[in-house]
Amino acid sequence: MLIQTVNLGKVYKNGIAALADINLTIDFGEFIFLTGASGAGKSTLIRLLFREELPTAGQVLIGGRSVVRLTTPEIVRLRRNSGVVFQDFRLMESCSVFDNVAFALKAVERPWNEIKMRVPAMLERVGLAGREHENVMHLSGGEQQRVAVARAIINNPLILFADEPTGDLDPKTSDELIHLFADINAEGTTLVMATHDKDIVERMQRRVITLERGRMIGDTVGGWQL
Amino acid sequence: MRGNSWMTVAAILTITISLFLCTFFWLIIANLNANANKVEEDVRVMAYLDFDLTQRDYRNIETQIKFISGVKNVEFVSKDQGLESLEGRFNDSNLLATLGGKNPLPDSFSITAAGADDVKPIYDAVKKIDGIYEATYGAGTVERLFALTDTLRQAGLAVMILLCVAAVVLIALSIRLTILARKKEIMVMKWCGATDAFVRWPFFLEGMMLGVLGALLALGLEMLLYSQAAAYISATVSFVQILPLSQVWGSATVFTLGAGLLLGAIGSVIPLARFLKV
Ligand SMILES: Nc1ncnc2c1ncn2[C@@H]1O[C@H](COP(=O)(O)OP(=O)(O)OP(=O)(O)O)[C@@H](O)[C@H]1O
Ligand SMILES: [Mg+2]
Repeated sequence: MLIQTVNLGKVYKNGIAALADINLTIDFGEFIFLTGASGAGKSTLIRLLFREELPTAGQVLIGGRSVVRLTTPEIVRLRRNSGVVFQDFRLMESCSVFDNVAFALKAVERPWNEIKMRVPAMLERVGLAGREHENVMHLSGGEQQRVAVARAIINNPLILFADEPTGDLDPKTSDELIHLFADINAEGTTLVMATHDKDIVERMQRRVITLERGRMIGDTVGGWQL
Repeated sequence: MRGNSWMTVAAILTITISLFLCTFFWLIIANLNANANKVEEDVRVMAYLDFDLTQRDYRNIETQIKFISGVKNVEFVSKDQGLESLEGRFNDSNLLATLGGKNPLPDSFSITAAGADDVKPIYDAVKKIDGIYEATYGAGTVERLFALTDTLRQAGLAVMILLCVAAVVLIALSIRLTILARKKEIMVMKWCGATDAFVRWPFFLEGMMLGVLGALLALGLEMLLYSQAAAYISATVSFVQILPLSQVWGSATVFTLGAGLLLGAIGSVIPLARFLKV
């Protein structure tokens, strides 16, 4: 067991109850789809799982320990072992594609010669070979999304959280990205992916967690639940 | 960046002013201390004689002085010698002319005490001798000098603390703007698993850069002014001993640069703390 939530709930500061009573267990190597209508709480759940937000009820346990109780070095270790693709990408606007991906390696203090080798290889994997020096803001939405994916997976995370990573992609590119995810999942990375894409969920036949207005209404292996 | 550069200039200038005044106070205190120490070493009592005395009286008084306990040496200083030494003190070789061609000084005995503790008893005893018109010793000067140093030190300390706080606040405000401009970057960095130290060091460097720039400006100003002031004071009142620039600039540099670095470092740590709690 990698991550467990116990009666997890989140009420935002403005009083909106985004999640309630979420009990789920995520094992090493799983590939999980998180589905639900807009506003159901998918992004909120992901934010709680990687500790961007702290729970207001219940707990998130990582390796059996509450994320609230983690010490600063433990939080650093947790983050070095997880990758996140944000729904809004959160790329550095004024930087090149290369710098945006290299950012994740620089943040964990990898040496420059290693960064020089790994970034282009990573960009090739997400279909952005040769685009290193373009300004990330001159890229299309789908291309930016893949930069965000590259940044999230370049550190070979144990677990990858992806919040609608195919949202801006055409069917073909989205297919390629899902293949990439399946590959890194086969290499051992646990994957939690929020998505609206019924086709992908149906095709992949993986575990599907369905949220509705902040509550878990389904946790099955197979196709689309709603 | 445009908004930021104004803030940066303001921060650097505040550091300059703060450190300039800090070093200024420190130099004054160092000089006062040097003078106080010098005067303290001076264990002389001067006994000025009445004007209408005979040679016999002179010898009589000298003998009386020599018998006061604690007296190590008695030396006669004629009024001409007194004038000469005064000319030396005021760097004026034509004092006599200034005074209208007539030396108004009395003859005197310069009495050297065996120790600093003997000075006051000797002074008291000498005053009682017939034919002594006035006696002086340095102790009052020492005390006044020390009192002045103390007051200055306290006032200086209060001003220094205030100015340093102001400098830290301005550095913090300036760095805060940089941080705000890079807020997203900091957050993503932390989500990628960067340590606090790693996130902090560029801001730390920026703060210390501001500190050092301000310190260098302050130091330049200080040295320029000090050598001018030292030359001026030495020329006008030569009995005040001004520490030569070569003797103070080493410690002044260490002091100013060190303070600049410290203020910069503190100023960068404060505004960042909130953003590191991601
Ligand atoms: N930072 C926030 N502060 C306050 N309320 C929020 C915040 N983020 C989300 N919410 C609210 O919480 C609820 C769940 O939002 P969430 O973003 O988790 O939904 P979602 O399932 O990811 O939706 P979408 O598919 O549109 O991305 C919504 O009602 C939203 O308005
Ligand atoms: Mg969302």
